[in-house]
Amino acid sequence: MTKRQIVLLASRLVQVLPVVVLATVVIFGLLQLVPGDPAAVIAGEYATAERIAEIRHQLGLDQPLWRQYLGWLFAAMHGDLSTSLITGQPVVEEVLRRLPNTLLIVCGALMLSISVGVPLGLTAATHVDSPVDRVVTTIASLGVAVPNFWFGMILVGFFALGLGLFPTTGAASLFQDPRAAVMHAALPSVALAMGGTAEIARQLRSAMIEVLGSQYVRTLHAKGLPQSSILWRHGLKNVSLTLLTVIGLVFNRTLGATVAIEAVFAIPGTGTLVVTSATNKDFPIVQGTVFVLVMIVIGCNLLIDLLCTVLDPRVDK
Amino acid sequence: MPFDNDHPWNAPVARRTVLRTLGSLAAASAWPALGYAQATPRRGGVLKIAAPFNPSTLDPITGGLGSDHMVLYPVFDTLVDFEPSTLAPKPGLATAWEFPDPKTLVMTLRSGVRFHDGEPFDAAAVKANLDRARTDPRSSVKGDLQSLQAVEVLAPDRVALRLSRPDTALPLILADRAGMMSSPKAVEARGKQHDRAPVGTGPFKVDKWNDNDVVVMSRNDAYWKPGQPYLDGLVFRIITDLNTGLRSVVAGENNFAYRLNPQQQVVADRMKGKVVVSSTPTIADYHLVFNYSRAPLADVRIRKAINYAVDREAFNRVALLGLGVPAQTMLPPGYWAHDSSVDNFYTHDPDRARRLLAEAGHPNGIEIQFYGYSDQSSQQRHEIIIEHLRQAGITAKLTTASSADMYQRFMVRGEGDMLLPLWTGRPDPSQPFLLIYGENGFNNAGKVPPPPEMVAAQNESQSAVDQESRKRAFAKLERLALEHALSCELAFIPGIEAFTPNVKGYVPNLLGKPKFNDIYLAS
Repeated sequence: MTKRQIVLLASRLVQVLPVVVLATVVIFGLLQLVPGDPAAVIAGEYATAERIAEIRHQLGLDQPLWRQYLGWLFAAMHGDLSTSLITGQPVVEEVLRRLPNTLLIVCGALMLSISVGVPLGLTAATHVDSPVDRVVTTIASLGVAVPNFWFGMILVGFFALGLGLFPTTGAASLFQDPRAAVMHAALPSVALAMGGTAEIARQLRSAMIEVLGSQYVRTLHAKGLPQSSILWRHGLKNVSLTLLTVIGLVFNRTLGATVAIEAVFAIPGTGTLVVTSATNKDFPIVQGTVFVLVMIVIGCNLLIDLLCTVLDPRVDK
Repeated sequence: MPFDNDHPWNAPVARRTVLRTLGSLAAASAWPALGYAQATPRRGGVLKIAAPFNPSTLDPITGGLGSDHMVLYPVFDTLVDFEPSTLAPKPGLATAWEFPDPKTLVMTLRSGVRFHDGEPFDAAAVKANLDRARTDPRSSVKGDLQSLQAVEVLAPDRVALRLSRPDTALPLILADRAGMMSSPKAVEARGKQHDRAPVGTGPFKVDKWNDNDVVVMSRNDAYWKPGQPYLDGLVFRIITDLNTGLRSVVAGENNFAYRLNPQQQVVADRMKGKVVVSSTPTIADYHLVFNYSRAPLADVRIRKAINYAVDREAFNRVALLGLGVPAQTMLPPGYWAHDSSVDNFYTHDPDRARRLLAEAGHPNGIEIQFYGYSDQSSQQRHEIIIEHLRQAGITAKLTTASSADMYQRFMVRGEGDMLLPLWTGRPDPSQPFLLIYGENGFNNAGKVPPPPEMVAAQNESQSAVDQESRKRAFAKLERLALEHALSCELAFIPGIEAFTPNVKGYVPNLLGKPKFNDIYLAS
């Protein structure tokens, strides 16, 4: 790592701080806007108003908002994301137990998106306006337009229920049973990968068309370099910045898309955790989970920024 | 199929008095000789269940959700059990009970029963449990035990419940949460942690509960029913999406899915061979509850108009795909306490509804505040009701939010005129009348006292010891509730379960809350 990169990393980290604080304020504020009272949920069907007030007091929900927020933020800075209102379990434990399941399908989807999207985009770029190009562009449009949870159900209907090749629901630990984990993650990953594949193929196609039309590529042709060498060595290197940025965006978006996909496949991940906790008004879990996800997204953006400086020295100037 | 034998709708309900039945019930309790078990049950295997809800807690006294029972039944035996198809009381942890006088209930306890932690189950344990249920600040069953004043240990296997008023509903109340027995030692030692790691006497012990993911239970080898349970364990996989839950059963990953919608029964029926579908009537019904403490619903004519405006047949056809049963009162046709003479009390008659509105001084129609839940199938039900009411000149202005929120706003804060919840039913028929129409009933939003003749009938239903007098009291209660139009009952829902063909010994019950205790897996 050069000195310049270290300086860049440090400055980015400083910039990240206000983003994190702002994100926590937004998460906290949005949850307050949600109608409903977690104390009413905890108290159950036959609760009296007194019992609900008592629960509110026990949970500190009767404190002013700024005090609740600062208390939470202070604890979060020390790695304590509080405990669930409903079950009293530590939020950190809950999130960490579920995060691997979510990351597995997101990473699987990302790998699929790259390994399918890149060749598709390149093929389309080198065959502009040909039937091949049109097929690729159509696939890309479909990939963006078709909802992934619907595609997920179609996949389950055909590959899991019809052919019995994959399990329909659940997840397994990658460390305890790698084969089962991959089998469980396969269909959700494919469903999630669709949007990313389309995005990567489209962006790569237009970036590559631009590069291939540039003057230095004309020079390379004039030098007599073969087409493949121009495409893979010079072209791809020049579009790698675009590609990297798109991959970063796709990762973040896929992480968000897990909310629907995890419900379809009944995966005990962070997506289902956020949904069920939000319906139960279990605010600490929602806050904690979203906080962890925000940190992952910020970390991913930071990593992409760093990689960009490695690939293109102009970036950090 | 195993669940076909005792269809509650057709079953002639010949029942004697509670007292006289006791002897025969005790004799009939030679476990495990149940009517449905034709083949010899196979030992072993783990039943995997797709459960649509995460439990609120695993402690029967502190939990608050009607959907917890499915996870509680395997861990906790109740003092009194019930016949699945009729909800008639039968021996559980108590082998017999009697009312020596109307305000005393004496129970004889099963001997040799131990909790999962090895502690003995005896009269002292019953006293500890019931005292906790009626006094613990976290108890959610205090309302069920209002009549209970003191519990007295008579002998290690005999306990007396002293009541403040006659309450013949009590035995069946003890077939619900209040009668589930936890180890007093574990409750004391674990404190709040007993919510998550409970200790009962039931056929299964809780090993692990990961929230919104899984509840794992293993066989209680020291269970008091000889040879039972057949299964090595139960795994509840919490899958909130019912379609996904059903798919997991079709694919054979899980063995059992419950609380399915009629729409899913149609899907499951197409999968014959891969899944067995059980669809049976329940005592749970959709109803419109009113706040009649103020205008406009304080006027009985407007409440009647709503009852005439609603087309119950159409509601059943559209919302329940015709698989439910139209309702007049909270007691279903065929149920022992129901009086069939009220079966056509309210018919669909929009013109009559309009005339009633005009009589009440609203010839040009009226507007009411309609509260409801925001989930998709609730919205469909609201649309049906709004359209029926519109045809009779009643404009229902709908406000929706999550069920917990709306329930609280309507019942506790007294907002809105009308709410459409699902009433899940109670083992004893006196409970719904007390909870929904009673002056202090939690579900009586306006807390308006019922008419005096209803209070009298209610008391009669709880103090009469013989079944025929109770039946007469319930007939009175049903008719009075209809005459005063205190609510608008819509339709009873079917209890729909789907399971893999190797699941044997399952008996659905009228409560619509499946019990897995007697199930075995064929090879």
